[in-house]
Amino acid sequence: MTAVVLQNLTRRFGNVVAVNDLNLEIAAGELVALLGPSGCGKSTTLRMIAGLLSPTAGDIRFGDRSVLAVPAERRGAVLVFQKHLLFPHMTVGENVGFGLRMRGLRQKEIRVRVQEMLELVRLPGFEQRRAHELSGGQQQRVALARGLIVHPAVLLLDEPLANLDANLRLEMRELIRSLQQALKMTAIFVTHDQEEAVMLADRIALLFDGVLQQFDRPRAFYERPRSARIARFFRNENFLHGRKEGERIVCGGSPLVVGGGREHPDGEYLLTVRPEEVRIADTQVENSLRAQVLAAVYMGTYMQLLLDVEGQQWRVHGPADGCYPAGSVIWIQLPPQRIWLLPASV
Amino acid sequence: MGRPEWWERLKILLMLLPALLVLVGLFSGGLVVGLGQSLGYLPAAGLHSVTLQHYVDLLVEDAFWQSLWVTFSLAFTSTLLSTLVAVPCAFLLRDTFRGSRLVNFLFQVPIPIPHLVVAFGVVTLVAQSGMLARLLASLGWLSEPSQFPALVFDRAGVAIQLVYLWKEIPFIGLVVLAVLQNVGPDYEALAQTLGATRWQRFRHVLLPLILPAILSTSMIVFAFVFASYEIPLLLGVRFPTPLPVWSIQLYRDPDLSLRPGAMAIGVLLTLFSILWLVAYRRLMRYALRASGGR
Amino acid sequence: MSSFWRGSLVGGIGVVVGLPLLVQVIWSFAFRWYFPDLLPSEWGLHAWRYVFSDSSRVGEALLTSLGIGLAVSLLSIGIGMPAARALALHDFPGKGLVEWLLLVPIVVPGVVATMGIHLVFIHLRVADTSLGVVLVHLIPAVPYMILVMVSVFANYDTALEETARTLGANAVRVFWFVTLPAILPGLLVATLFTFLISWSQYVTTLLIGGGRVITLSMLLFPLIGGSNNATAAAISLVFVAPALLALGFTARSLAKGPSVLGGLGRP
Repeated sequence: MTAVVLQNLTRRFGNVVAVNDLNLEIAAGELVALLGPSGCGKSTTLRMIAGLLSPTAGDIRFGDRSVLAVPAERRGAVLVFQKHLLFPHMTVGENVGFGLRMRGLRQKEIRVRVQEMLELVRLPGFEQRRAHELSGGQQQRVALARGLIVHPAVLLLDEPLANLDANLRLEMRELIRSLQQALKMTAIFVTHDQEEAVMLADRIALLFDGVLQQFDRPRAFYERPRSARIARFFRNENFLHGRKEGERIVCGGSPLVVGGGREHPDGEYLLTVRPEEVRIADTQVENSLRAQVLAAVYMGTYMQLLLDVEGQQWRVHGPADGCYPAGSVIWIQLPPQRIWLLPASV
Repeated sequence: MGRPEWWERLKILLMLLPALLVLVGLFSGGLVVGLGQSLGYLPAAGLHSVTLQHYVDLLVEDAFWQSLWVTFSLAFTSTLLSTLVAVPCAFLLRDTFRGSRLVNFLFQVPIPIPHLVVAFGVVTLVAQSGMLARLLASLGWLSEPSQFPALVFDRAGVAIQLVYLWKEIPFIGLVVLAVLQNVGPDYEALAQTLGATRWQRFRHVLLPLILPAILSTSMIVFAFVFASYEIPLLLGVRFPTPLPVWSIQLYRDPDLSLRPGAMAIGVLLTLFSILWLVAYRRLMRYALRASGGR
Repeated sequence: MSSFWRGSLVGGIGVVVGLPLLVQVIWSFAFRWYFPDLLPSEWGLHAWRYVFSDSSRVGEALLTSLGIGLAVSLLSIGIGMPAARALALHDFPGKGLVEWLLLVPIVVPGVVATMGIHLVFIHLRVADTSLGVVLVHLIPAVPYMILVMVSVFANYDTALEETARTLGANAVRVFWFVTLPAILPGLLVATLFTFLISWSQYVTTLLIGGGRVITLSMLLFPLIGGSNNATAAAISLVFVAPALLALGFTARSLAKGPSVLGGLGRP
């Protein structure tokens, strides 16, 4: 198990800054997600950690040792690609054993360890199969086995689930998580899917435009996002400008009690509440705002409501059995502990 | 769709039929008629009996074996040299650098140029009074054309080789380049993170992936040179005559009784090229297995 | 690699590729050019004047070559395109055999087949005619057309055609508005190179045409290595013109990479 430290890591391509002054400290044995929209620099970061790309500035340390001078083949960071990329001219067994063969291990030992590894990824006895005979999920598991067999100091996964269908993705998530914990590995995986990051990662590093926005436990991105943009990325589009005075915040005409914002000084803020934290009422209740229903969509377990709240469009979840005709007026109750305040300037 | 299966089958057959007429009717039909003639069946010349005599006459003649050797070594050398130059070229062209688009274009230029044009260009360059000799003369290294080595109509067939190299290096190179670009850089990156050194990445990843392309293109080049007529006739020595040249000269002779002999040479040429192909396929399979492929 | 070596590499390739063609341009304008002069001592247009005169028969041969080439490429489209489609998009018994038959003319020398065909053509009275030459040129041209078009059709999605059918297009319209635009770039390249295959033929034309069908290659061949380099150079440049044209055309469509050329399948 190795801790990974990125210090002021920067990479430019011509005039484009792909990764800008990135600082991350990943603990040994931790599973961290690099999350962000495509082109945010997450894959570039991964390739720099792997040693396939050298940084323009900054340092990468495994433990307390800088690895900048160590070439990729001796760095001990294995990269599993989005496209599983099984070597087409080799069998499954040869694919999995590739890294050991490169290290000059004896055939006999390779065979034993390949067998163990294939059992671990639930593909026992698949040694003689060829890549094209396997399903997409099986191929991805072989790719994973091929990476894990060399006991990498760091396992790097580049969108490992992107090419799989929904059911397989779920299965692979669990497999990756259990393998990473069983083998006690530090792992970093890149994804653009916030749900995937939340379900898999110990901590998430969110990047926009090559700049680290927030590095935190998954829960924090829902409860305490640092900016409106981060909140929006996690599917919260409910914002309202207001002025905080003491324990209250005044938005338009109605004052609301704020529970979670005691540390904030009085002043202008952007108030936000997650869609699933809002409670719907027919009449005015404590700590509530008046809202007009613009549209309602049945989502199976809840109703997705599009509301006009003080001139802003909000999306909130209502009970699945509710009836909300367009144009009707409802009241939305915001629990004081669930209100989060963002700097107003954003 | 609601159409019966026989209709689909018929449609496919109709789609293939014209092509089969060309491939089977013309090509294979021609082969069969040619084979018949080589066995002495030539009613037009009053020959009706079937005999192996024309083959026997050839196989006991020294000239035939010398011709076969000349034909083989010409094809083998030009294939080997083309491949040895083409593969490194493909690797160089794979990287992008300033001017790489220009080089890429230049590399494609020889592909559509007819062999005859190349042959003429090479003659004007390397003949004893050609541009190269003139250049050396202007440097004061020689004063007479005869001091320049004879590269055209010579036994080593230097001019012939140059024509083939000019044409076939880009042919092999572009196919290998296409495969390299298709493979992309990811397999190597992946192998590298798994601990493969630069040599190991070439040996265990790239080589097995491009070897089939190298072998099949070089095989096509070999077969082409082995059977070609124009270039050896234009730029080669008169004796020993390469087999295709010999065969066609006999065939074009007004004496029709020489035709079965011409056909026999042609059939032997065909047999030998099939023999090389089989041997080559064996070699290919062996090479693929040795390089980790299958 | 340092930029100096890269530069010399680019330059070296340029010289090797360009020189055999450039020297022919100079020769075609040379009136007197004796050893050891590096450039002609007297320039002149006499070679070009001869090429454009009736006595050279170049104009006549040019028309013959063009006509045969066009006929061969059009016939190859008609013969090759349906076959390529069948091979790329359908499975049927004997497919392996057909694929194998396609490769045979590429690796088995055409000498015997051509000489055998000659005999049959004499009986059918098409020997020594342009028709006979067109037919024999089909042997190398059709497999080439099929091989290129198979790779084009392999990347073609028939769902497009089905969509058009459900939108009310009949078979002709589907071909014209859906299939043709999709395969056109590949088809153009294949047609162009099929034309060049016919255009460059020498020995098949010689055997089947029997000296009566005079194409450009028939005129050029005896001049190579002869005493009149200027005339040979001028005819050679006329002969190479469509190839250069093809190059200019493909250079554009190949800008993304040489993959189409890579599939040429002909040395």
